[in-house]
Amino acid sequence: MTLTGSTRVHLSGLSKTFHDPRDGRARPVLRDFALDLAAGELVAVVGASGTGKSTLLHVVAGLVPPDAGEVSTVGADGGPPRLGMVFQQPRLLDWCTARQNVVLALEAAGLPGGGADEVLAAVGLADHADAFPTTLSGGQRQRVAVARAFAIEPDLLLLDEPFSALDEITARRLRLLLQELWMARPRAGLLVTHNPLEAALLADRVVVLAGSPARVAAEYRVDRSRPRSPEDPLLFDLHTRIVADLA
Amino acid sequence: MSAEAPLRAPVADVADGPRPEAPPRRRGRTGRVLPALAFLVLLVAAWQVMAVLVDSLLVPGVGAVAAELVEVVADGSFVGELGATVLRVALGFALAAVVALPVGIAMGRSDLLRRFAEPAVLLGLTVPGLVWALLCVIWFGVGLANPVVAVALSSAPPLVLTTLQGVRSVDPDLLEMAHVYRFSRRVQLRRLWLPALAPALFAGARLGLSLGWKVVVLVEVFGMSSGVGYQLNNEFGSQNVAGVLAWTLLFAVVMAVLEYGVLQGLERRTGRWRKEVSV
Repeated sequence: MTLTGSTRVHLSGLSKTFHDPRDGRARPVLRDFALDLAAGELVAVVGASGTGKSTLLHVVAGLVPPDAGEVSTVGADGGPPRLGMVFQQPRLLDWCTARQNVVLALEAAGLPGGGADEVLAAVGLADHADAFPTTLSGGQRQRVAVARAFAIEPDLLLLDEPFSALDEITARRLRLLLQELWMARPRAGLLVTHNPLEAALLADRVVVLAGSPARVAAEYRVDRSRPRSPEDPLLFDLHTRIVADLA
Repeated sequence: MSAEAPLRAPVADVADGPRPEAPPRRRGRTGRVLPALAFLVLLVAAWQVMAVLVDSLLVPGVGAVAAELVEVVADGSFVGELGATVLRVALGFALAAVVALPVGIAMGRSDLLRRFAEPAVLLGLTVPGLVWALLCVIWFGVGLANPVVAVALSSAPPLVLTTLQGVRSVDPDLLEMAHVYRFSRRVQLRRLWLPALAPALFAGARLGLSLGWKVVVLVEVFGMSSGVGYQLNNEFGSQNVAGVLAWTLLFAVVMAVLEYGVLQGLERRTGRWRKEVSV
């Protein structure tokens, strides 16, 4: 199927089953899942651990083939979308400097490598461009990963629990950073997280997954203009409702 | 980046600050050379004490070995002899690397290939260098092929094994990342595979070279008329223990130059990114 209009991602009838390597038992993680994602929209998929959120993202990224269903993604020019992805771990090349890590992604995307410094400055790492990742803190490394994802001006931004491995203070700061980067250049974005507040803060739409195999328990539209504050009572209210859906 | 809205997000470094600086690494050249030097001095002194205590022609003192060493070096022919041995090892090791690297990488990527070739590697590791040396002398006679093949046969198995382990230790998460960001094959090889494999390749090179040195001397004893092994055999024939030790020392010097000058230099270059650990 060809995508029409501003739709960037179209998923329908998506199913995926994993087989337990020990007893060989089938463990369905996704069944008949559907989702549409428009350009400029950031959708958060929230669920407890093991509900197939990460699998969903890996299917969209083309890293895992689905057992059944349709996955269509399209870039702004009608071709395959340029992907920017932030993983749970930074996944940097430890033997390349922060700048080189960004430059490699830029060059692979056919963009001039000169833009790396601007993006690193945007994430507050201008002074650490020449540092090797092993000498950076966990939060700094994840910021390099965020810079890499935004630097290539992706058609589709995939965020896989991007801040869950960080301490709460650092995670909070990086969420606000992400919001600022997003406001500067909105794209189509898919965020999976187990953190309801993170979803409410960042997303335009929140899809709550529950059960095994996962089904959509609830869906919310977050009508709050950006920039949003983590202290916003409306967002906290939404967070409470998501928690109730998950339970 | 194109000229859209400027990206800027003020981010203060508090909890998320840089790690404390590692202690300065270099304490000067002398600081690095001193421990090795101390060991050598101790070794020479211990040898001398032993020679005096044993008081036998079979254990020559430091002076006798040094005199022999001076004689060999003053003669000048040692350059040719050492050069011949080094060339044989170099060619054999290069041959081993050309075969072992692709085989090791293929084995690391395919379970079927690994199961198929694993017995060959284990067999190759088990066969004593002496057996390779004897077989190569029998098969290839006195030509250059003899030592080169013997060195290749003995150094290829450990090279395959370390390459295989290196390939299997490459982080699959990074391969996923490279796939998502569409790194070209060339970039993946240069920026991901080679740096990730480097430690394994260095370990393999060390192990392979050390086995190569051992087998080339055997080949030269049995089937060659030049090289360090040939000279060792000569000295052995004339029951000149000091001569045997002098040639062994010369050989050790070449090994040290290779280890400190080439291998460690390369390793430092490729390992610049490693975090200094202070405990």
